[in-house]
This record gives sequence, structure tokens and C-alpha cells, in this order.
Amino acid sequence: MTENAVSHNSLATESLLFAGRLLKHWWREPVVLVQAVLFPTFLLITYNLLVGKSLMRITGADSLYGLVPTCAVAGALFGSLAAGLSIPFERDSGLLSQFWVLPVHRSSALTGRLLAEAGRTLVATALITAVGVGLGLRFDGNLLAIIPFLLVPVLVVAVFSMAVMAVTMRAKSGTALIWLGVPVIGAVFASSGAPPIALLPAWIRPLVQYQPMSPVIESMRALAEGTSATWPLLLSVVWAIVLAAVFGPLAVRGYRAAAESGS
Amino acid sequence: MVIGTLRDDLPFAVVATVGNFIAFNFALRNVIDTGNITYPQYILPVVLVQVTFLGVLTAVDRAARDRQSDFGIQLRTLPISAAVPLMARMLYCIIRGVVVLLTTFATGYVFGFRMIGGPLCALAFCAITLLLTLAVSLGADAAGSRLGDSPIGKGGTASQVLLVPQMLLVILSTGMAPVESFPDWLHTFVEYQPVSQVTETLRGLASGHVMVGNLATTLAWCFGMLGLFGVAALRMQRRTT
Repeated sequence: MTENAVSHNSLATESLLFAGRLLKHWWREPVVLVQAVLFPTFLLITYNLLVGKSLMRITGADSLYGLVPTCAVAGALFGSLAAGLSIPFERDSGLLSQFWVLPVHRSSALTGRLLAEAGRTLVATALITAVGVGLGLRFDGNLLAIIPFLLVPVLVVAVFSMAVMAVTMRAKSGTALIWLGVPVIGAVFASSGAPPIALLPAWIRPLVQYQPMSPVIESMRALAEGTSATWPLLLSVVWAIVLAAVFGPLAVRGYRAAAESGS
Repeated sequence: MVIGTLRDDLPFAVVATVGNFIAFNFALRNVIDTGNITYPQYILPVVLVQVTFLGVLTAVDRAARDRQSDFGIQLRTLPISAAVPLMARMLYCIIRGVVVLLTTFATGYVFGFRMIGGPLCALAFCAITLLLTLAVSLGADAAGSRLGDSPIGKGGTASQVLLVPQMLLVILSTGMAPVESFPDWLHTFVEYQPVSQVTETLRGLASGHVMVGNLATTLAWCFGMLGLFGVAALRMQRRTT
């Protein structure tokens, strides 16, 4: 009887249900909204006002092409970190264990979270890009390049939220996230082109050029400028697959451990 | 109460200070033209203000928590002055301010910042920083106590409300870059907003050349906020049914 009901439910609908729960939660909780949308948008505006003139003087190029991708990706990460703060509460209050015993597909809570993160990032990136266009960003090549441009941060956040889950499912509180967040967001800003790489000390340059966030920002910049983005896009995808292969299993095992800890 | 917060929050005061200094310094040193003053020397005051503001954000959450937690309610029934929990929170803010000051100096010295103005100026430097810390902390406390009863405060994230305004004040100030680096239409705001005035005074004190008008503006801002926010914070502590 119940077994029948279970087999008819598809993974897709259940994931959507879990995603919907999270999105509703985030909409009501200002912290995710502020971190994922408001903060990066204002950061883009103010940072551009601060360095725009100086960078134009040094490089002769518009700094927006580096700053819009940077703020979009950083916003996705900020949002993911803010969303991850509630995971320890959900585990300790027994909510995760309750999901675990529901007659749904085991992985739907996780896929639902990934789906919600992806949806939130897509909307936030679109908003930040719109502000960027308002400030003077133009898609110089193919206008269709805007589609992969919006999808790159989604790819980043999908992998990053696996890492967030891997950490928070086991962590006592949300503060452990800071040790994950600071280096990653630092890596994003280091790739922004503000400062230009040539102006950095020599010993730090290879570190800035070859870290995983560098091809991400580079590919978004190339997409906006209308130059060839194939190589940085390929590198970003390879990095994403490698990191997902590490953090994906860790997230799944973390979730299982958290759900079975029960209370 | 003070000791509990010391354990949780103080490491962040240190890490945030060092992190902010290094980040600002690396990101902007070769981008912003500060004329004949080195960038570490130029940026140190605004790092101090930025870290103070970040600390103040946590003060909002602490006040909100004391407002609505069971422990906070119990405190309000005790036969002590209603202002005692407020004083305890402010004591912590001052301790945090001192730690931030020491860390900033230590990091700054490594990167080439020097206190040229002599001991009297150094003393004034510290006094103004702590005055500012206390003034904005009182404001944050009032805001936190106010928000404590609302749904935002119950989520423990009331501080997020102030995140964007503090960023606007810090980034769009002459603490980050000389006023010429900003677009023309923004000059008036950038020049006269409080963070610009305060950082200019601090920079002046560090180098030993303070302009009297600028010092007066800074003191007016600090004491003005201290008075206004002090009254607001005290009023928020009244016992209610």
C-alpha cells in the first residue's frame, strides 16, 4: 500500500518540494536575502565608484567587466554561507532526522537544497548583472552569451554548497563556515582584475592565476567582452567536477551522519 | 556575561583586523594614488573604523539576544539597575575596541605604518577611536534592543540590517582613497560624511599634523552620537510589562 505510493513519487517532485521549503524560508529570513542580493549589489556599486576612476587611469579598461562577475560569484557564495548557517539548527532540532524517515527518496533533501541554491543564484546573478548593465556593462559579442554568463555562478554555487553541507552537517555551530568562506571569497576577489595581476607582488601571482576561481571570473569576463571563453570555461568545469568529486561524497556522508544522529 | 562573549567573539576581532588590513592593502595599494603618503599609512585609520563597525554589528545581535532570551528576561526582574546589562555590554565593546586597536597597530607596524606624531598624539588617536567605538556601540545596542522583539531579532540576525549602510560609509570615504579618486558628483558626500572626517583626524594624529577644524568636526560627530545614542540606548532598557 504505502510501498506503492513511494515508488510512484519521483525524485524530481520531491526535490522541488524541498527546494520550495528552503526558498520560502530564505524569503522570510532576511539574512540570506541581504547576503545573496543586497550586499553584493551595493558592493558592486560602491567598489566601482571607489576603484573605477583609478583603474581606468592605470589600465585604460572599464573595471566593470571584472567587478560584475566578482560580485555575482561572491554574492552566490555569501548567500550559500548564510543559508548554511541554519543547517546545524536543523540537525539539532531533529528536523533532518524527520526528513530522513519520510517516505521520500533519500537524496531528495540534498538535491532539493542544491536546486534551491541554484535557483537563488540564478535570480541574484540576473539582478546583479542588470545593475551592472545599468552602470555601463555591455555584452559586446553575442547577446546570447548572457545565458552561459548567468549559469557560471550557478555551477560555482552548486559545488560550493556541497562543501558548505560537508562542513555544517558535522559542525557544532555555523562559525566553522568562516574558515571555509574566507579563503574562497578571498580567491574570488583576487581574480577580479582589481588590482590588475601585473601590479601584485611576483610571489603571489601564480597563486592568483591558477586557483579555481580565476578561470570562473575569466570566463565570465570573456563572455561579456565577446572574446573566446572556451578555454577558461573548460577549466572551470574541470575544477568543478574535481571539487564536486571531493565534496559531494563528503556532503552525502555528512547528511547521513547528521540525519541518523536523531534527537 | 562579559567573559562569555570574550570567548566567542574576541578571536574574530583579531582575525578580522588582520584580514581587513591585508586585504585592503593588497587590493588597493597599487591602484589608489595617495600622493606622498604610503598606502599602509593612509589606510590604517579606515581599517580601524571598518573593524569597529563590524564589531558593532555583533553588538546589535548581542543586544537583541539579551532582549528576547529567557536569561535577558530574568536579568530584567533582578533587583539591579536596568542599565546594568547595558553597561556590561558596553564594557565588552570597549575591551573589544582596545584589542582591535592593539591588533591594528601590530599589523600596521609590520606593513610600514608609523606613529610619527609622538605619545600625546598616539594617546589622542586611541581616545578618539574608543570614543567612536562607544558611540556607535550605543547606537547598535539601541537598534538591537529595539529589533529584539521583532521576528528579525528572534532569528538572531538583526545585525544584517546595518550591513549595507556601514559598507556605504566605509567604502565611499576618503579613508579608502583621496577624494579625487571618486566621480565628481560624489565629492561632497565623500568629503563630509563622518567616516571621512574621523579617518582624516586619525591620519593627522598619526603623522602629527592635525587641522583644528577637522578635529572639531570629528569630536562633534563623536560626542553628538554619544549623546544621542546614549539616551536612545538607555531609554530602550526601561522595564516593560
